[in-house]
Amino acid sequence: MTALVQAYEPAWAHGEASHSAGFVAGLLHPITGLDHVVAMVAVGLWGAVLGPPALWLLPVAFPIVMALGGCLGLLGVPIPGVEIGIALSGLVLGLMVLFEIRAPLVLAAAIVSAFALFHGHAHGAELPAGGNPFLFSLAFVIATGLLHLLGILLGETRRWPGGRRFVQAAGGGVALVGLGFLLRVLR
Amino acid sequence: MNSHCGWIVLASLNWPPGLPTGWLQGLPLAHLLPTGLGPWGDGIAQLVLQPSQLLLVLGLVLLAAQGGAACCDRLPLLLPGAWLLGGLVGLNLGAELLQAMACTALVTLIGLLTALGVRLGPRAFLLVCVGTAMPVALVVGSAMAGHQGALTALLGQVVAIAVLVALLIQPLAPPQPRWLAIGLRVAGSWIAAAGLMMLAWLARHPQ
Repeated sequence: MTALVQAYEPAWAHGEASHSAGFVAGLLHPITGLDHVVAMVAVGLWGAVLGPPALWLLPVAFPIVMALGGCLGLLGVPIPGVEIGIALSGLVLGLMVLFEIRAPLVLAAAIVSAFALFHGHAHGAELPAGGNPFLFSLAFVIATGLLHLLGILLGETRRWPGGRRFVQAAGGGVALVGLGFLLRVLR
Repeated sequence: MNSHCGWIVLASLNWPPGLPTGWLQGLPLAHLLPTGLGPWGDGIAQLVLQPSQLLLVLGLVLLAAQGGAACCDRLPLLLPGAWLLGGLVGLNLGAELLQAMACTALVTLIGLLTALGVRLGPRAFLLVCVGTAMPVALVVGSAMAGHQGALTALLGQVVAIAVLVALLIQPLAPPQPRWLAIGLRVAGSWIAAAGLMMLAWLARHPQ
């Protein structure tokens, strides 16, 4: 478990100077933090478990709420417990997928939106000042959407024999990563 | 109202001095890029290479596709026309007088309408299309003013928009398969999210 905790760099710690400009930087920004990656994939996985309309409603709601969080982060408006919220997102979403919890649509959207706010805030607070901000923002959102799509595609393997177990295992993996981050944050 | 009345009204507006230039530096709405292809090519390059304008065009295409056949039929004439009118006004104002933040807000609004699955009627769509495209084109025209061949560049841009819309609207127009309708909303949410972040960015880094 100690190795697990030490293996990951949190999403709010990857603002390298080389990623300070343009589309590529925005595209890379969300995928250089494992905590962010697993949570985004888990959103897609959970959407696939829940089925339509959650399958597409969650990936529509997430970027907009994440951008709102990004706005708060950019403007320096503090949200308490951002790191804990991000770590919890992986843990909670992973458990939802692992145990195939079919929450009502409104509740699922509320849970995902709350976590989106934390992720957006962390990224907004560390967005670099240089480069083309519009391209950066656009690429950042697209990368997040593609991670959702990856989760949905993985989740769609539930239609195949053994796919259900695979998706549950993926959810378990996400939950483990989230737990690792949570322990790291709480240490 | 004839076009002269509109010009007089716009020209007589008392814009706050120095209002937008700081905002404009943060947005890629501004000046023509010398491509070596002449003013016509510069105008097209400005549209293609600078995403804030392109996103508005794409957003309006998505919204038209969501709105139905009547909206799709009108867009190929409506959008280039509104762009031309706004750009001409901007060229004649001759200064970067409008807030880039307002333009970004309009792009965000189009994205939000698409993400929410709003199906506008033809008249409402006309209002939204003209009400968003013209102000953005006005800023673009203002930024072009003073450049050599600015009018040619604007015309090149208008033709590029007409071609782009014609190419995109056909495959997106109804009747749409379910996955495409969902894709329109997802793409709208991306545009809205990028616009929201850009708004905050502009507020944070005004210079």
